[in-house]
Amino acid sequence: MDGKKRVAKSKLSTYRYYFLIALVPFIILVAMYEVMPLIMLVIDSFQLDKDPSVAFSLDNYTKIFSTLSYQKAMENSLVITLISTGVGIVVAFLGARAAHESHGRYKRFFMAVLNMTSNFAGVPLAFAYMILLGNAGVIKQIANMYGIEFIQNFDLYTSNGLTIMYIYFQIPLATLLLIPAFNGIRNEWHEANELLGGNTAQFWLRIGIPILIPSLFSTMSVLFANSLCAYATAYALLMNNFSLLPLNISASFVGDIKTKPKLGAALSVVMMLMLCIVILFNNFITKKTTKWEGR
Amino acid sequence: MNKHSHKSAYIVMTLVIIWLVLPLLATIIYSLFEDWTGIIPKGFTLANYESIFTNEDFLTSMYQTVLICIIPIFITVLIMLLALFVVTVYFPKIEKYVQILCMIPYTIQGIILSVSILILYANSESFFGNRMVMLLGAYCIIILPYIYNGIRNGMRAINMNMLLEAAEMLGESKIKAFFKVIVPNIISGITVSSLLAVSLLFGDYVIIRNLSSTDVNNMQQFLYQTMKRSSTEASAVFVVIMLITFLIAAIVLTIQSRSSSEKLKETGK
Repeated sequence: MDGKKRVAKSKLSTYRYYFLIALVPFIILVAMYEVMPLIMLVIDSFQLDKDPSVAFSLDNYTKIFSTLSYQKAMENSLVITLISTGVGIVVAFLGARAAHESHGRYKRFFMAVLNMTSNFAGVPLAFAYMILLGNAGVIKQIANMYGIEFIQNFDLYTSNGLTIMYIYFQIPLATLLLIPAFNGIRNEWHEANELLGGNTAQFWLRIGIPILIPSLFSTMSVLFANSLCAYATAYALLMNNFSLLPLNISASFVGDIKTKPKLGAALSVVMMLMLCIVILFNNFITKKTTKWEGR
Repeated sequence: MNKHSHKSAYIVMTLVIIWLVLPLLATIIYSLFEDWTGIIPKGFTLANYESIFTNEDFLTSMYQTVLICIIPIFITVLIMLLALFVVTVYFPKIEKYVQILCMIPYTIQGIILSVSILILYANSESFFGNRMVMLLGAYCIIILPYIYNGIRNGMRAINMNMLLEAAEMLGESKIKAFFKVIVPNIISGITVSSLLAVSLLFGDYVIIRNLSSTDVNNMQQFLYQTMKRSSTEASAVFVVIMLITFLIAAIVLTIQSRSSSEKLKETGK
């Protein structure tokens, strides 16, 4: 009986390898358009635009970290990304908490607005802000009429303008990502907190936020990637007249001026490293904070 | 929850809604009037819409957008169905690696993906150097995470191995049973993730800008070109793009709420 079973099993296991054929299209697609391009990108980043005979050099990287315009690009990218991520997560926390605390038609409307606007970024977003706050924008003109100075002086075509737009597209995404996490907060905990004499602020500081930390950090890492890699919004507003990592990367491959693909490859690798650091940090936090669940 | 927190919840939601809706609303109003220099816009008109819908370039870009959105989704869904069938039924051990490969595009995003494909194929004289092929390849990859999650979650929600065994006992081969029994059961998940992929590709600007030749344009590129020329016409293009995006999101929401209410019914029995 046992022997028969074993024979049948081994027959099955040779037979099942035929099914690997169904995996072939996937492997081809991923190899050709994901793995090989990324490997080439890394290899290219160690070669030089000027001298193709050099097989390995770190010159591109030293150039990136010592040239003022690339330093500025990294700084601008990181500052805009961090501010928009920070503001995004705070607003999303308040928004998701509000959605969690309410019911009925207005909540459904709120969710619908979030869903509808979560895909609203890039060229259309930049355009809408130009209509609103551009040099001849609607709000600008109203401000001119009534002499509201801080709006009159606001210049959309700067990193400030860019930051506002990035905050815009972070909010719906972050709120939608956080709302499910709030379902994990039980009403009994609110009651226990009240019985022990705690107020609402104490509840969130001592119980709510610590519970939500894994979700908050994973949402933040999505926001970070989302804003660091955003290209269309910045390009539609400022074209290539601004130092920002995605703009510089793209301009070194396709552009009116002379292209520098190897340097662009190195810039892309730097950007990927930033993303990796954030993802690893997020994994570390998740591991640290979810330990208690297993106990 | 007490009344006070109820009130503050409404205030927060209202502020977020205003922040999100204001730019949209302003642009819609802008597209419908001749002149908006005071507080109240003057001269209602549909001329902007007339002019874009009679513009051949606009209609071409619309048609091209539809094509370059649908083809990659069709390819990726088919490839993922085959791959996930084999992996979950016969080789559960390598599922981890498939998952990692499917999640990479989520982190590298459009900008890095498009330039790395450019490095590999831009100078190639072969079929792979064709700009359209490069674009479709990049699109297939960028939607992988969404399609993977949609199919995977669908498969987890049903008891796939049991269904397959039952079908086998009834004399069907596993692969036939997969397409006859499993796929119809997870079709709503596939539809939702395909629609999410549509809205992702529909909103793409960076990949198509870096990879496609100048004669292929999507609606985002058309909006960019129009906005350099005339902001009133661009506002009409904007409204059309927005309506399409909203329509896709609305369909997704309806399918999702319908399938979750069905689930409630089933568990309620």
